[in-house]
Amino acid sequence: MTTPLTLRPISPQEHRDFIAGRSSASFLQTPGWASVKAEWKAESLGWFRGGEIVGAALVLNRQLPRVKRYLAYLPEGPVIDWTGDDLEAWLRPMVAHLRKQGAFAVRMGPPVVTRRWSAEQVKAGIADESVRRLGDVPPLERSQVGARVIAQLHELGWQLQSAEGGFSAGQPQFNFQIPLVDDQGAPRTEADVLAGMNQLWRRNIKKADKSGVEVALGSREDLKAFHDLYVHTAERDHFTPRPLAYFQTMYDALAAEDADRIQLWLARHESDLVAATIAIRVGTHAWYSYGASSTEKRDVRGSNGVQWAMIRHALEAGAEVYDLRGITETLDADDPHVGLIQFKVGTGGEAVEHAGEWDLPLNRVIYKAFQVYLARRG
Amino acid sequence: MSLTLSVDGDRWRRHLLATVTAHPGIVPVAKGNGYGLGLGRLARRAQWLADHAAETGAAVDTIAVGTYDEIGEAATRYSGDLLVLTPWRPFGAALDLDERTAARVVHTVSRPQDLAALRERDPRARFVLEQLTSMRRHGMTRRELATAAEELGRARSGLRGVAMHLPLNTTSHLGEVTRLINEVVASGLPTTTVFVSHLTASELARLATSYPDFTVRPRVGTDLWLGDRGALTVGATVLDVHQVERGDTFGYRGRSVPKSGHIVVVSGGTAHGIGLEAPTGDQSLKARAATLARGGMDAVGFVRSPFSIDGKQRLFAEPPHMQASMLFVPSGARVPRVGEDIDVRVRFTATDFDRVVVS
Repeated sequence: MTTPLTLRPISPQEHRDFIAGRSSASFLQTPGWASVKAEWKAESLGWFRGGEIVGAALVLNRQLPRVKRYLAYLPEGPVIDWTGDDLEAWLRPMVAHLRKQGAFAVRMGPPVVTRRWSAEQVKAGIADESVRRLGDVPPLERSQVGARVIAQLHELGWQLQSAEGGFSAGQPQFNFQIPLVDDQGAPRTEADVLAGMNQLWRRNIKKADKSGVEVALGSREDLKAFHDLYVHTAERDHFTPRPLAYFQTMYDALAAEDADRIQLWLARHESDLVAATIAIRVGTHAWYSYGASSTEKRDVRGSNGVQWAMIRHALEAGAEVYDLRGITETLDADDPHVGLIQFKVGTGGEAVEHAGEWDLPLNRVIYKAFQVYLARRG
Repeated sequence: MSLTLSVDGDRWRRHLLATVTAHPGIVPVAKGNGYGLGLGRLARRAQWLADHAAETGAAVDTIAVGTYDEIGEAATRYSGDLLVLTPWRPFGAALDLDERTAARVVHTVSRPQDLAALRERDPRARFVLEQLTSMRRHGMTRRELATAAEELGRARSGLRGVAMHLPLNTTSHLGEVTRLINEVVASGLPTTTVFVSHLTASELARLATSYPDFTVRPRVGTDLWLGDRGALTVGATVLDVHQVERGDTFGYRGRSVPKSGHIVVVSGGTAHGIGLEAPTGDQSLKARAATLARGGMDAVGFVRSPFSIDGKQRLFAEPPHMQASMLFVPSGARVPRVGEDIDVRVRFTATDFDRVVVS
């Protein structure tokens, strides 16, 4: 008989220490992320077995308009042992606690992989006219652990929030990742990672180098330069940019946890900023988070140059995964999203599907109203 | 002189070929009374379908029978594998398998303890594991499936796939099937073959795209053998006709005729399943009202029969006998002559025909 799990709120410091002691966790589950999402009331929770902390969660509580009820949101979390067959023992105390705090529903994104596809398979899928979605391609692997998590969530009454088509409001279910270790877990070499990329990527990386693109780590002061280029990119690619203050808050919050948690990368060509990116790393997991590029001088391939610098940095830091984050499920060559997938697929690596975001309604009436509200907001 | 099922052979065979072509991986179901056509005939026809594999593209390497007792009748007429739908139990007919057919049988195992018992009796036994569905008849839960997976290990075993028996009349089976397949993945069972029933063509197509790495094998009975109702006609022979006046007595019970007309005696009675009402499963208000109405008719006079003359359903003059039924035809309507065949509406799965004639 194992000691039962208990749960209680923990301090940000306890939370930080727990994450630091783990191989990895999503950056959305670090206590620092709470300050980035200041409009949400955050709380750190810890699971204990005996006196030992064995799990942690960052809960973001979003209040409903006019009602003192909250949606308790755990993006890409919680950080618990998802491999067992007794999820209920983990989730029951968490749900009880959140209910007492006034949550009308809990939403979480179990950080477990359910399916994987190789870059080759994704490429073949895009080329095949009969294939429209990633799921139409036989996966390299269906994860038993992932399937067990999904089966248990169904049994426990959680509901999958489906994100048909493009990106949903929540975290993406499909991501593209480059493994930085081999099957045995040994680190890959730079040459090996480069060899895994397609010819275009390798040529463009070389081209950036030859044209004299210089990639350097920036400091907080360079956020303004990044942001200017990012606003320019947003105009060109038709998305709504976040304000500079958002990135400053993010930088300060994440950098305070760990000096190397957030990095700003700048690619310059003859003193012109041609590309700039933000990278994040928690333990062995490195993310490419935000990117911007100039419309001028595209031929010097600053974007490829800066990606390669980030990948090399991640390798050096001992990361096991370089995460290019979300892709949509579409493999339809006519879909406008497919270009983004093609860019990411060129790096080699694999497409992974995660379990998605799941809701547990605690107050059915308010939850229903909340869903109607979300649907109206479109 | 008989209750006869006439089959338009060309049309029926065309339908069979088309159905099999539309369902690659199909497992024809031949069980019970053979859907009115006879178990032996279905087994022979399954063999014929297997022989036409080049034409249909469907191998028909397996048929499903209902029980262990039905194996003998099918095994001599069909040469492929025989999947038994009733779960294996460590007792009864399952233990009396003929040596020669045993190697062709695929068992259905629905309890973890039965898996161990079956494999102990016959280490080479081949089987499918049945999953518990919303029907809650037989089958293993997710955790039982995981236990079975652990017992089997990764080694080569007799596992041929998993089987799910889905309920009828639900709006869509896809949600349930998706959950059940996810449970197969979660269990770690080394199989990607799933035997399912009652899925529509579009549901099967959706499954094929969502699970391109899985083989979905549809078990089809009714839609295969009885799918083209127009190819099947049921006839009863008129054996005798008697003119009656109001007040005349007739029949076993000496009832009197309410008005003038004819008593028509036709072949087909309780021995064929005529007049025995199987529960229809239709729970709608309308169906229940109809049952009441039939009871009401019984109280004042005659009950509606499944026999019809010139397209008009006729009333039973009295409850059907073992092999013949007496109908009442009021005056004014055409009276069929002796020897003529009239139509009968039956449930094929609950009717024993005297003769099945395939043209």
